Amino acid sequence: MSLLKPFSKLPGLNTANILLVENEEQFQQKLADTVVLQEKTVNVNVRLARSLPLPMENEESRPRIDLVVFIIHLTSELSFQSAETSLKYLDPGYFQGKVCFLVTNARNVSVPPERLVSVRKLAASLHCPLLCAEDQTTEGVTTAAHRLLAILKVAAGLVPMATGLYLSTLTRCTVPSDIDQQNFE
Amino acid sequence: MEPLDRLENLASSLETVASNGFQATTADNGQKDSSPAEILRMKEQMSNQCFEMAVKLQAGKSKRSSCSASDAEKDLLDYANTLEEAKIIHFNKTLALHRMQVWHAISEKLKQSDPEAVAMRGLTSCSLDLCSKIKTLQQESCELQDQITDVKKQRLDLKRLTHEKMKEMDELKRKREHPEAEKYRNVLQKGQSHLEKYQKMATITQNVLRGIIIASKVNWRDDPKLRDIAMTLEDIPISEE
Repeated sequence: MSLLKPFSKLPGLNTANILLVENEEQFQQKLADTVVLQEKTVNVNVRLARSLPLPMENEESRPRIDLVVFIIHLTSELSFQSAETSLKYLDPGYFQGKVCFLVTNARNVSVPPERLVSVRKLAASLHCPLLCAEDQTTEGVTTAAHRLLAILKVAAGLVPMATGLYLSTLTRCTVPSDIDQQNFE
Repeated sequence: MEPLDRLENLASSLETVASNGFQATTADNGQKDSSPAEILRMKEQMSNQCFEMAVKLQAGKSKRSSCSASDAEKDLLDYANTLEEAKIIHFNKTLALHRMQVWHAISEKLKQSDPEAVAMRGLTSCSLDLCSKIKTLQQESCELQDQITDVKKQRLDLKRLTHEKMKEMDELKRKREHPEAEKYRNVLQKGQSHLEKYQKMATITQNVLRGIIIASKVNWRDDPKLRDIAMTLEDIPISEE
């Protein structure tokens, strides 16, 4: 059983750990650097992975992961599929506010719109937030890092009066048909 | 439940770490500044993390075996609504509490006798005077407004009355003309028809008499009575045929 469990280890004091999962391994490095540079008061550790399951060798030395971010590039179908397969290796406890989806190239014309719709459906079914990021400019990277940090701090329990579960009820992704149904109810 | 027991053990060990007074942090992070605010902040963080783990434990204990995804979705919406309502109530209560605290502080301050309190008392008496002035002015303006509305009402009443009087006058005028005009017209018509009839009769008899006089070849100029009759015959014009 190589599930990644959220509460199997002790949290560190004033520390937050984020795991960036990306099949292409190009955006995670830039994002990691920006995230570490932006946050001054809290100790942020960024771990990078290509896909889950994580290798068993570092099982003991790895700290508790507070937020798992799946980076999906819409330009390639493989990105989405690898994210989907990685989802199976996450303990269900993670989906209560400790998982986030990050999508890049959502505005690209060559991207088929069905891919974004399927990513949205996946995020909506798992009750996870979906962020869109722009990975080509530094501004886009800093914005994405800023938003991820906000979610990370809540998921790591560093924000008083807010837990990941509470935030997930506010930030969950919705698919347009869901919204129409809710209006009729 | 093996993972839940492990979780409980971890939670208790976290508590011991917390009570041991943060010995671990200074080793990790050289730039830790241990002012009371920082320590309080970290205490808050730890209580938050303990709370999360406690929630997880409780969720694990009270697992319902018979719940479907759609039911869970509906329940989720209900719970989210109750959560929002609870948050709103809590916020309102906090506001009320803050208000009470501020008022308490102000009243305590006013009872004291330092220069700040004296200034505050002067300020409160000024504002009380202004408030009473505002009250009297508002009352006056209310009364004036009432008077204005009364006057307007009276004016409207008078207008209505004048309208009614005008209407009545119009009706009376029409009524008076009408019956009199009618009678007058009827009588006039009757008179005229009588007149015509008698005129015709008179013309016919005159013509007949003229004819008789002419046909009888009587010398009417010598007889005075016959001459008068014949002269008067000429006066009446011959009516249209």
